[in-house]
Amino acid sequence: MYPAEIKEYHKPDSVEQVLELIANHEEGESLLLAGGQSAMQAIKSRMLRPQCIIDLQGLQELKTINDESETLKIGAMVRYCELVKSSSLNNNFTGLKDAAAHVGDRQVRNRGTIGGSVCWNYAAACTPTAVLALDGNMHLISSDGEIKVICADDFFLGPLDTAKSESDILISVSFKKSKTRSGSAYKKWGLVKDALPVVGIAAFVKLDSNGSCCEARIALTGMGVGAQRAAAGETPLLGSDGDPQSIEAATENICANIDAPTDLSATSDYRHQLIRSIGTEVILTAFKRAST
Amino acid sequence: MKNIKLTVNGEKFEEQIDNRLLLVDFLRDNLSLTGTHVGCTYEGVCGACTIHLDGDAVKSCMLLAVQADGHNVTTIEGLSADGGLTNLQQAFNDEHGLQCGYCTPGILMNMADFLTENPNPSEEQIRHGLIGNLCRCTGYVHIVRAVKKAAKMLKDSAHEDRT
Repeated sequence: MYPAEIKEYHKPDSVEQVLELIANHEEGESLLLAGGQSAMQAIKSRMLRPQCIIDLQGLQELKTINDESETLKIGAMVRYCELVKSSSLNNNFTGLKDAAAHVGDRQVRNRGTIGGSVCWNYAAACTPTAVLALDGNMHLISSDGEIKVICADDFFLGPLDTAKSESDILISVSFKKSKTRSGSAYKKWGLVKDALPVVGIAAFVKLDSNGSCCEARIALTGMGVGAQRAAAGETPLLGSDGDPQSIEAATENICANIDAPTDLSATSDYRHQLIRSIGTEVILTAFKRAST
Repeated sequence: MKNIKLTVNGEKFEEQIDNRLLLVDFLRDNLSLTGTHVGCTYEGVCGACTIHLDGDAVKSCMLLAVQADGHNVTTIEGLSADGGLTNLQQAFNDEHGLQCGYCTPGILMNMADFLTENPNPSEEQIRHGLIGNLCRCTGYVHIVRAVKKAAKMLKDSAHEDRT
């Protein structure tokens, strides 16, 4: 396991330079490298053989979390370890913290980034799932200068596939701050602690002034198709205060509408059981966080 | 090929290297710092190649050496500033936190970074911190004990410094 020949390596210090480098290379030649905790594996196994690596570590402007009045904007190069420590993610966005805190191991979290994870969109990955439940928006710039904002529902297309084209660079992931009480949570189950999720579920709920749920988003991973919405589980939560019957209806609805695969890690039935048990826990936690 | 300049264990180096060279091999083969180990054929799963990059514990098989250009690297050889044993190394010695020792440099580098962030760790936090390091000999009991002892030694020495 070792990288094939890499003809060029660049570490630009501005987005403009990155866009210029992308434009100067043929399609398929260059690769944007963020934290590299997934991409380097693909490069070493030669699943990817980039001629030119454009290392994004020099882009200081992509390494900040901007807590603005109506949105939280997380730079694409913000690392998991920084997400976990950031107080800006408390309250509404704790679900993203839950996800970041258990990615891989602490060496991976010291290097891996939110942008790298959402753009890689691995078949079973925590961060894209949390971003999807939290209704994140991906802010991209194309090498022709076009600025695009793509919502999570349209961004995650399938395993290792997103709406980001090769000529785009992801600048940030933003989340709208809720004006009313809201809460989120994420949890996964893997074969060993902090391993890739066999099933991972993220939930987001928003409560009205009476404490009833007026908006819910649930996303899951581990079904072989990358991060996906579980809309069937959202409807039973609307109007509820997180009572056991509504949550049971939510997880049962997800199970009834999801095609859970059987593989070496778990059978389809076992995945359904994980959806029930983890789903109940994250939905309850999201309601609890919203009401405190 | 690319020319890189970096600081390793406080010493400045300048080398002409291949773009595809992994940082772990640069340290071992070019600089002869063989305390950083390769335990899993560069798969990024064993943690034996853990080093500090600008103070953060990372796996050096997950980076190209060219990515360390302009950065500060510390390897196990540079963990102790004065050449003696650090509190962490002494605690591993006292508690016999190793058997064959192959994984030990990576564990020490990870735990040194871990203890600066978690000076008062619970056993659960220590075990969570160790997820990225595989040890096939010890079953981790002595390793966890050693990290606990190191935390206490660091706290006591900080207390002595103040008094």
